[in-house]
Amino acid sequence: MSSNKYWKGVEELEQTQEFVTSNANEFSEGLPLDKVFANDDSTRANRRDFLKYFGFGLGAVTLAACNKAPVKKAIPYTEKPDNVTPGVPLYYASSSVSNSEGFPVLVKVREGRPIKFEPNKEATYFGGGLDGLGHSAILSLYDTNRLKGAMVAGKRKVQEWADFDKEVVAALDKTAASGKAIAVVTNGSTSLVTNQAIADFKAKYSNTNVVAYEPISYSGIIRANETAFGSAVIPAYNFQNADVIVSFGADFLGTWISPIKFHSDYGKNRVPKDGKMSKHFQFESLMSLTGSNADVRVPIKMSNVGKHLIALYRELGGATPQNGMETAGNSIKQAAEELKAAQGRALVICGSNDEQHQLLVNAINTMLGSYGSTIDTTNYYKGQSADEKNFNAFLKEAANGSYGAVITIGANPVYSHSQAEAAYTKIPVRISTAITLDESSENSTHIATGLHPLESWDIQEPYKGRFILSQPTISPVFEGRHVASSLVAWSGASVKGTKEYSHAYAYAKSVFNNSIGGDFNKAIESGILENTTTANVPSLNVTVNSTIDAIAAKKSSDKELILYQKVGVRDGAYGNTPWAHEMPDPITKVTWDNYLCISMPDAKAAGWETGDTIKVTTPSGSMEMPILIQPGQTKETYGIALGYGRILPEEVQNDLKDLGHNAYPLVDMKGGFANYTIGAITLEKVETARVYEFGITQTHYSIEGRDIIREASLEEYRIDPKAGQNVHKPKPISLWEDYDYSKGHHWAMAIDMNSCTGCSACIVSCSIENNVPIVGRDEVRRRREMHWLRIDRYYSFEAPVKKDLSLSIVHGGDQTVEAGEQMTKEKVMEAYSDSSEDKDTAYDYYQNVRVAHQPMMCQHCDNAPCETVCPVLATTHSSEGLNQMTYNRCIGTKYCGNNCPYKVRRFNWFRYNENEKFDYHFSNDLGKMVINPDVTVRSRGVMEKCSFCVQRIQTAKLTAKRDNRKMKADEFTTACAQTCPSNAIVFGDLNDANSEISKLYKDDRSYHVLEELGVKPSVQYLSKIRNTDNKTNA
Amino acid sequence: MSSFYSESTFLALIILSVVLAAIAALLFGIRKHLKSLNEEKNPTAKEPTFYESKIYPVISKWNPTIATLVIAGFLLVVLGAFGYKFGMDEVGVQQGYAPNQPINFSHKIHAGQYEIDCKYCHSTVEKSKSASIPSLNTCMNCHKYVKADEKYNGKTSPEIQKIYDAIGYDGDNMEYIEGYEQKPIKWIRIHNLPDLAYFNHSQHVVVGNLECQTCHGPIQEMEKVEQFATLQMGWCIDCHRERGIDSENNEYYEEVHKNMIAEGKDYVTVAENGGLECSKCHY
Repeated sequence: MSSNKYWKGVEELEQTQEFVTSNANEFSEGLPLDKVFANDDSTRANRRDFLKYFGFGLGAVTLAACNKAPVKKAIPYTEKPDNVTPGVPLYYASSSVSNSEGFPVLVKVREGRPIKFEPNKEATYFGGGLDGLGHSAILSLYDTNRLKGAMVAGKRKVQEWADFDKEVVAALDKTAASGKAIAVVTNGSTSLVTNQAIADFKAKYSNTNVVAYEPISYSGIIRANETAFGSAVIPAYNFQNADVIVSFGADFLGTWISPIKFHSDYGKNRVPKDGKMSKHFQFESLMSLTGSNADVRVPIKMSNVGKHLIALYRELGGATPQNGMETAGNSIKQAAEELKAAQGRALVICGSNDEQHQLLVNAINTMLGSYGSTIDTTNYYKGQSADEKNFNAFLKEAANGSYGAVITIGANPVYSHSQAEAAYTKIPVRISTAITLDESSENSTHIATGLHPLESWDIQEPYKGRFILSQPTISPVFEGRHVASSLVAWSGASVKGTKEYSHAYAYAKSVFNNSIGGDFNKAIESGILENTTTANVPSLNVTVNSTIDAIAAKKSSDKELILYQKVGVRDGAYGNTPWAHEMPDPITKVTWDNYLCISMPDAKAAGWETGDTIKVTTPSGSMEMPILIQPGQTKETYGIALGYGRILPEEVQNDLKDLGHNAYPLVDMKGGFANYTIGAITLEKVETARVYEFGITQTHYSIEGRDIIREASLEEYRIDPKAGQNVHKPKPISLWEDYDYSKGHHWAMAIDMNSCTGCSACIVSCSIENNVPIVGRDEVRRRREMHWLRIDRYYSFEAPVKKDLSLSIVHGGDQTVEAGEQMTKEKVMEAYSDSSEDKDTAYDYYQNVRVAHQPMMCQHCDNAPCETVCPVLATTHSSEGLNQMTYNRCIGTKYCGNNCPYKVRRFNWFRYNENEKFDYHFSNDLGKMVINPDVTVRSRGVMEKCSFCVQRIQTAKLTAKRDNRKMKADEFTTACAQTCPSNAIVFGDLNDANSEISKLYKDDRSYHVLEELGVKPSVQYLSKIRNTDNKTNA
Repeated sequence: MSSFYSESTFLALIILSVVLAAIAALLFGIRKHLKSLNEEKNPTAKEPTFYESKIYPVISKWNPTIATLVIAGFLLVVLGAFGYKFGMDEVGVQQGYAPNQPINFSHKIHAGQYEIDCKYCHSTVEKSKSASIPSLNTCMNCHKYVKADEKYNGKTSPEIQKIYDAIGYDGDNMEYIEGYEQKPIKWIRIHNLPDLAYFNHSQHVVVGNLECQTCHGPIQEMEKVEQFATLQMGWCIDCHRERGIDSENNEYYEEVHKNMIAEGKDYVTVAENGGLECSKCHY
């Protein structure tokens, strides 16, 4: 039952004074009228001031009025390429820029400018979605800090490539003659083209050592698979085949290995069809995106993960000694029962990078028959395959002076590896092929500026036998050169291209012919090529008893620090991607910062508040960071996100500069692997530091105890599909006259809260499609973020049914609280008072929270309250059910924003596109290239909001009219729905009986948010069903 | 005109100097009046001025009321017209705008005299929102051979030579120049819809069956292209209110057509089909 109450943040739950005052108003800061009218001479305008301002104003108006529209030029192509039609976009299959291993996408190109990534729906294996960072990374093409061409350190002046090559070859020859080795450091790229070029290079310089380096290591899995099955690979995981998923700290929906693909696979089994859906257990420390979607989430310590694995191994029938187990109450037993029942359709994964843990996971999966079904080691994953062992060995040798030259391709070790800078400096010739100035290229002697992936030919192989081809979608913006061409040039061959094609094209084509074969043009057109084999079932080579003994012998740490990745920023490779930084973190809703996450019991025990600065000391160093209290986090665990603290070029003067703190130096390398769980830490408060204010969006609106989220357990759903919906509904009395929408189109949207994981890809996709400005951290603090689409994240308590806290999450919600009653802190305290024996554990219940994600955008109400109050009719209703916003009519009274019950309207406080203070991409000539020409760039002083991508509606209608045909069902969709990896958003025409939306509207789970207001929204939500009864899915 | 001032700044300065001149004239008049007062007290014989002998006898016969009204009316009409033009320019209404183009291309010759179909050059008009200015290789389809040299003593016409200079074509030897750095032609845009209004040519030409001339005027008679319509919203809406959609021949409008017949109407206007709704053009 939905009797448990929801809250958006600790502030709201505790009703802090600050929160109450700030939420009493629509806008966080009112006009400073009281200051103006105060009886204070310093702020009052006197007669002289009045005359001054009046005179200036008059003069300014006169001059401004004199500025006639400038003469505009129209410059056509001199020679128009055949397939280009000005005003009509072209789509090219390519690979996502942010995934170095390759991910299939389509690139939308307008008049030769790539303006947006869209998912490649033909690439079904990869799921047909895209993530927030993937969308944001298009800005790396239009980054003003891109390197302009070949340069030699010190001079930093663009050189002719021929002269540059001579210099590089001379330096390399000298190195070779001196007998010292040359290193090629790659980012573990799966590019066949680059790898072939490296091979060519090696043919000339035989003393070359190729080392792969990636900031985030999965070597635990690779090594365990080598030990267990004799193949050192990361397998492919098939979540779509799994009925029961048990994850130990693996954030597979957010950051672990290949989350976009996992998202869509996972999403396939999350919609309760015929009363069935997959069951997901998550044992984890920090509240991750994956954990927030789990049916059963058990807070554990990551340093204890091995002991939980032992317990699971034993429960599944593995013979082990009795000692060294952690059972997390009854939870491991429950998970084991479910797993056993789902033999062959089960999957256990673990986020630890410890080989021993992964070995045990392999043994468990072998027992469960997962190999060949949910795990595929034959068509394995080829990305992120770097083992830090090799790189660390290289650094050691480099520090000893055994290397004479290093060529760095795609990697940035100086940023993400604490020892890299010292070792690199010992190498006399340091060549970088970076495209923007980063920590490693800054530190190099020669920069052979590469090409942006959108300017390049490439063939990647993210999974064995699955190829992704990319082609240039824009001619090089600067004087870069393809990495392969550079390597080939240094190995002595000519890289002169023909008039039509660059050398890289011919090279990529020859690589294709030699290693894949077939029709190159056809492959380029579809962008994907599959040549996989049937998965075989590997047999386990080893017994795990000694592993278990070793794990059991390890002591878990008292307090532990967990270094994790944030969904939007990931490993930090893309420092200058403002869209990704402004995207609120799906869980904390913090923008533009990293922080030390801390659990509520720990914060209360220490008397710390969010924003306090804490010094955390680890064996590898210490850091001072502001803290953030995170409900759901395990006691005595602390988290810091990697990927922040990038050192960007001096020219960057916006919020991207000095962004957060770099936590990479804290990674523990002592055990022979990169361990992201660090024990033996101490924390102390820095008393002198000011309270830090995060740019956080979560508490910008309060929910006032309204019935916004509806949910039920799977069992309840099976008995009554309308479960969770039995809310008392007052009969709506309408202020408005009804309109008949049955003719023509009636656009509507449905959002399934079961499939929606909160990943926030839709937010970025929407921003790019609709030219939504980036406002920066300070403006977010003032509640002025401009996102048309936000994802509300609600917490609710799992009140204890039994006294055992760790079990409570398995069972339904709190039955003691009446519907409509606010679930206050006191109420929870009372409910828990029996189970809390002393004051210190009184806040332990904060470890057990449930999360619901709800995308929220303009609901396009049939009876829209915003329309009623607009004094100038700037917002009106269309006959197709759209709530229209007419910017040129808007005079900025903000009445509409005030009257909107969903709080989805956004006000342009500045002219973001021409204001130097908002120097993200909107205000510079290069960044402006990414603007969607079909959508108005809004000016200061107007309201804006979701338009249901009306530009796409209009285009689709026009296409049908031009083709003299009726519209096909679902022939287009909005930007958010298009990018959703788990298909949670469906958009379409309600009047078309064949459309998916008209079917979904009849679903028993569907409801309108705040339907009691009678505003008749056009967005329908499907209530959340949690698989929380252990008998339902047998 | 100096490029330092924009045209309208210059106008403002002129107005300012007119005002200053008026004040100077007023002061001068006062001074003169004081002088004449002084002369009344101490009269001296003097010659009648030009004003006294020629102008005063004429205007003294006029009815002062009518005269004032006529002069005021005249000023109102002149200044009002000027102000109207100024205001329209300010909001970007450029009806009649006909700037000199980098090439003196004549639609009268091409579309009028030779009756070349508009869509031959403006080839994207049926596919795209923009009709698009043709790229130079479209020009070269004919002008590879057509040099109009008969009018210029065997030399290539200077206007056609501009195309050759831009694209890199040797008119004398009739061949393209290898490795030529092409210089695009920078036409001056005449029809400037504001960014906030979306207009699609293909919608109007293909779906709406409009002739180019409906909006662009008698383009085949224009030596130099000028903006024919006001391109104001009222102008758009007037047409949307009057014109019917071609519901009969377009399958997309099947439902609309059925409803129309059921309601016994002859046609459905664009407005009745939702063509006046804001976000049909503004998004």
